[in-house]
Amino acid sequence: MFPTPSFVERVSTDLQRDLLAFLPELILCATIVALLLARLVTPLSRKHLGSFALLASGCALAFAICFWPERSAPIGSVPLSGNVEGFSSLLVFDTFGLYLRVFLLVFLCCSLWLSLLTGIPDAEDSADYYTLVIGGILGMMLMASANHLLMAFVAVEMASVPSYALAGFLKGRRQGSEAALKYVVYGASASGVMLYGISLLAGTFGTGSMPLISRAVAVASLGEGPTLPVLAGSICILIGLGFKLSAVPFHFWCPDVFSGAAAEVGAFLSVASKAAALALTARFLFVFSGSSRTGPDDLSGSALALGWAFMAAVTATFGNLAALAQTNIKRMLAYSTIAHAGIMMMALVAVGPRSVGPLLYYISGYLLMNLGAFAIVALVRNRTGSENLDAFRGLIRRAPLLAVGMSIFLLSLLGMPPLVGFAAKFQVFAVLYETGRDLGGHDGMIAWVYFGLLVVAALNTAISAGYYLKLVKVMTLEDPADPSPIRVSIGSGALVSILAGLVLAAGVFWNPLTQYANRASQSFDLAPKFEKPAKIPKDAVRPAIGPKGKIK
Amino acid sequence: MISLPHYLTVGAVLFVLGLIGFLTRRNLIVMFLSAELMLQGVALNFVAFSRAHGNLHGQVFALFIIAVAACEAGIALAMFLMLYRKKRSLDISLWQALRDPGLEETRDLVPLPAEPKEEPLPVLSVSGIEPARKERDHA
Repeated sequence: MFPTPSFVERVSTDLQRDLLAFLPELILCATIVALLLARLVTPLSRKHLGSFALLASGCALAFAICFWPERSAPIGSVPLSGNVEGFSSLLVFDTFGLYLRVFLLVFLCCSLWLSLLTGIPDAEDSADYYTLVIGGILGMMLMASANHLLMAFVAVEMASVPSYALAGFLKGRRQGSEAALKYVVYGASASGVMLYGISLLAGTFGTGSMPLISRAVAVASLGEGPTLPVLAGSICILIGLGFKLSAVPFHFWCPDVFSGAAAEVGAFLSVASKAAALALTARFLFVFSGSSRTGPDDLSGSALALGWAFMAAVTATFGNLAALAQTNIKRMLAYSTIAHAGIMMMALVAVGPRSVGPLLYYISGYLLMNLGAFAIVALVRNRTGSENLDAFRGLIRRAPLLAVGMSIFLLSLLGMPPLVGFAAKFQVFAVLYETGRDLGGHDGMIAWVYFGLLVVAALNTAISAGYYLKLVKVMTLEDPADPSPIRVSIGSGALVSILAGLVLAAGVFWNPLTQYANRASQSFDLAPKFEKPAKIPKDAVRPAIGPKGKIK
Repeated sequence: MISLPHYLTVGAVLFVLGLIGFLTRRNLIVMFLSAELMLQGVALNFVAFSRAHGNLHGQVFALFIIAVAACEAGIALAMFLMLYRKKRSLDISLWQALRDPGLEETRDLVPLPAEPKEEPLPVLSVSGIEPARKERDHA
């Protein structure tokens, strides 16, 4: 009943190791508290706190990079080479999670810089805004490294609740309020559905730990296959994640929220939130997909994969078709986000080390190009007060730098060759082709699913040219209604040029980023796998906490 | 004897009732109450599973659900208050400004029942010293 001294000692050493590995997140927590308390101190209460927030997140980013396993400098006693389960296996520190942690912190720094340039929170509101953004990113970092269903749920909520408030951050605008309303009501019910799925899964297996569940699923796949509660539970969870990803039957919030909220918030929702949701989806699908490789006649893996493939194809196609008719740039970018989410979901149909690497590359490239596009929308909005297509008419005459930058980002989103978007799409297409070819031998039907996805993805790229190129044409070939030049500050010019330069550089030299992404995806090899499921004892399904309440 | 399936049935019924209420109601607060009802169904599920397995995992889940539901309710109700101040109504169909170009506003075929007229607050009779306001009005 009572813990023994050796147990206490083990827990305290584990805790020290975990806290050290958790340092970037802890820095963000401290920043949030400091931002809130700064309101109470008289000299700071009227200051714009953006530079402090940027400094703190840069600090967190530096620590996160230090913990990157390739740096091979174990700080203290943190061995971060393999999958280290931290905080009594609620979190897992693996290469995948660490890569996404760095990615999210890079996005945080860029987005804070952008908010400093566009001045979306004024000095009065700055503490609130930065608290919400940093809190949301913290939740997303936990989503990326969740190892337990409880942690996954809490992290999803931690990421969602600040997003609801951010969507309605422009308090004076009715559209902002409407966006927040639609997001919060939809989000609350989606999280309810996801939670029901979690309750079915955790209830069936008696534990919420994802490795234990995946082992139990593998054991079950040797017998009569997954039971109905398991299937229903996983479908409910995927519905909740589909809401976060704005996958097609659950996408209705996305265009409305993006067009009502500020462009900076749109970038936050389309890049960071999507990346975290994809990471969590990858972990979930990995838990269930192992069984699909043990035998071709198994229901769960292939049925889920079929459903997921269908959803991905519909998402990409619908997003692109709907984007064709838009006149509001943010709304168009929202549909383009839906379409890109569809392509990234396609990569997850074959979840495993081979497809996670390209997915991570895609996410990283997407950060550069989509953040850049939203940044230019925000800059143009600040100068012209409009976010419609007309504001961009003849932009090349008014602000050449912004027009060239926007063209680069749009062509990259389309997937033009020397840019990062092409490299990302190419790798996803290659994975689809290779998986289909490998499966062609023993499972013809599934192989055709992959080839079908490849065709759908290629067609989608062609459709998306319609609206991306239309915007490029409007910016460069048409005459502006108001030819007065738009002044671009040095900082804004620098941000746009850096992002555009990185889009170009990462598109020409794929190798460094691809190598990092592939190394990060190795953690999907190391995780408890299903190669020898027969040897797993039946009591692997048993709860980790025994009836006496003693932790094993 | 009440066994696990009984609890699960009640949980599922609560969840589905919440889902139906969420999809059919137009009042913001009732919609949100329905979403919370879904969460309560889930919490019941967790506690029942916790008892069936003889461990505390489900109970911990239930505690977290309650905390998260409170957070969501806090932010949602604050938002509803703000929206009510703008339009003086909790009808969600009034908020349709954001939609795709070329899409008509959605209208119910059956109009809402007329809202009961709000009774004016009772005015207390003036007593004691005459308020200072009147003197200013004269001046």
